Amino acid sequence: MPELALVLQMFLIIVAIAIVLHKSKFTIIILISAFSLIAATLYMMNQAPDVAIAEVAINAAIIPLIYVISISRQREFIVLDKIRHGFIDPNEKLTGEVYEALTAFTSKNNMKLNVCCDISGSEEVLTRDLNVDLILDKLPDSETYILKGRASNLLFARLKEDTKDIEHIKIELIEDGDALD
Amino acid sequence: MPLTKYILIILLGLVLAMFIVSFADYQEIYNNISRLFYETNGFLDTGSRNIVTAIYLDYRLFDSLFEAGILLVAVSGINWISQHGAEQENAHFMLDKFKTPELFITFSRLVYPIMLLFGIYIVLNGHNSPGGGFQGGAVIASALLILFYIDLKKSTNMRVIMTIEKWLFVSLVSISAISLLTRGVLFTNFIPLDADADLKSIYLIALNIIIGAKVALGLTAVFIAFLKEGR
Amino acid sequence: MNPILSFVVILIGIYGLAVSTNIIKSVFCVTIIEAGLILLFLNLGQYEGGLIPIMEALGIEIVDPIPQALMITTIVIGSTITSLALMISIKIFHITGSIEWKDFLKRK
Repeated sequence: MPELALVLQMFLIIVAIAIVLHKSKFTIIILISAFSLIAATLYMMNQAPDVAIAEVAINAAIIPLIYVISISRQREFIVLDKIRHGFIDPNEKLTGEVYEALTAFTSKNNMKLNVCCDISGSEEVLTRDLNVDLILDKLPDSETYILKGRASNLLFARLKEDTKDIEHIKIELIEDGDALD
Repeated sequence: MPLTKYILIILLGLVLAMFIVSFADYQEIYNNISRLFYETNGFLDTGSRNIVTAIYLDYRLFDSLFEAGILLVAVSGINWISQHGAEQENAHFMLDKFKTPELFITFSRLVYPIMLLFGIYIVLNGHNSPGGGFQGGAVIASALLILFYIDLKKSTNMRVIMTIEKWLFVSLVSISAISLLTRGVLFTNFIPLDADADLKSIYLIALNIIIGAKVALGLTAVFIAFLKEGR
Repeated sequence: MNPILSFVVILIGIYGLAVSTNIIKSVFCVTIIEAGLILLFLNLGQYEGGLIPIMEALGIEIVDPIPQALMITTIVIGSTITSLALMISIKIFHITGSIEWKDFLKRK
């Protein structure tokens, strides 16, 4: 049946062009699964059943899982809140000037805000090993908030630009040592 | 700039034209000598009806040993990159703010034994039907990953998996090297050449089981390292 | 006809690799190149009237089994390289905060 093989190969070219030109990442993962299934059918038509089983089991079942995990880890902005110790109610809306500025910033960059408050450890360990992006603190006698983050973080540079004209916010940088050069 | 994209498309079109010109007569220069050799001697030399399994387990075993080595090195690399030096009780702060639906959990419990049985069947019958060590190992790995959906807070010990994988690689190399004593040639079947075809398939089944277990544990270790990143 | 269409898939993958803007898209395009390459190799070994390489009885005509044995190795190694590249991209995101190519080429 050479006509069926020709039709399937045209499908393969169309799906490949769709993967190259798309912009949102979650639809590309489903297109990768479809691409791998059509390719496995074509391998079977060239009389190669061992290659077809290997392609389906690896490229259509395990690799999309790994893509989904790695993409969803890249969408969160982690903030450590030192003002209230011990308890954050997940349903209560956070009010206050700083929280609204942070919410506007994260929704502008299509990310989720993740606020947590019960970790201990030095700041070096927190920002380098546990991947915290921002540490929020407040001076006990005045109204200024202090934001601390790493110096090599590009999102932090954008945050500095956005909050330049809001008062009561002071920004400190943590310089990094010789991490991964 | 759109100008560089058009130049790129024109250059790739030139490469396609060169390919069409040079591949016009590949049917005449393709000779059949190796295919006829495997047709006449494949089954009687190795004892397996599946010629592809006979090639990567008997005629070309060196390639499979290096592929198993590459898997081991890559899994160790992924495990090393994703490590951090904080204490373990401080690293559980990222709660997963979603919950898998009940239908999914029930369905996974039904499907999991069937997937495991199918994977073991593919591994054990690698010399008589399409299948083998690599393919069956991937199917068993998919079955083991479903356990992570049933219980989200399951904790596994990474050291046990890596230790078992290292010992499997050592046993793979040592079983291949036995043939130096019985036949005088390194890295091939250790049963002598004029035995029955049924006896020779013992070696094939043993190697398929070792390779299948190695691939399944390797892919599971990669997945656990991805889940642990940032916790 | 068949080898030419497989080569078109490889060229689409090369074009996507040259135009991609972030790391994850480059990894997608490497997978496309690899699938096209495996299709090209399997097409060279096949001919009209050949059967799958499992000897049910002695004396039947089979397709060439050598490219199939090499391509199984290719698939496994390709998936290993993909997972290693994704792990490195997660670490890059945690340290610098972005995964676009143009942010790394213009620093310092």
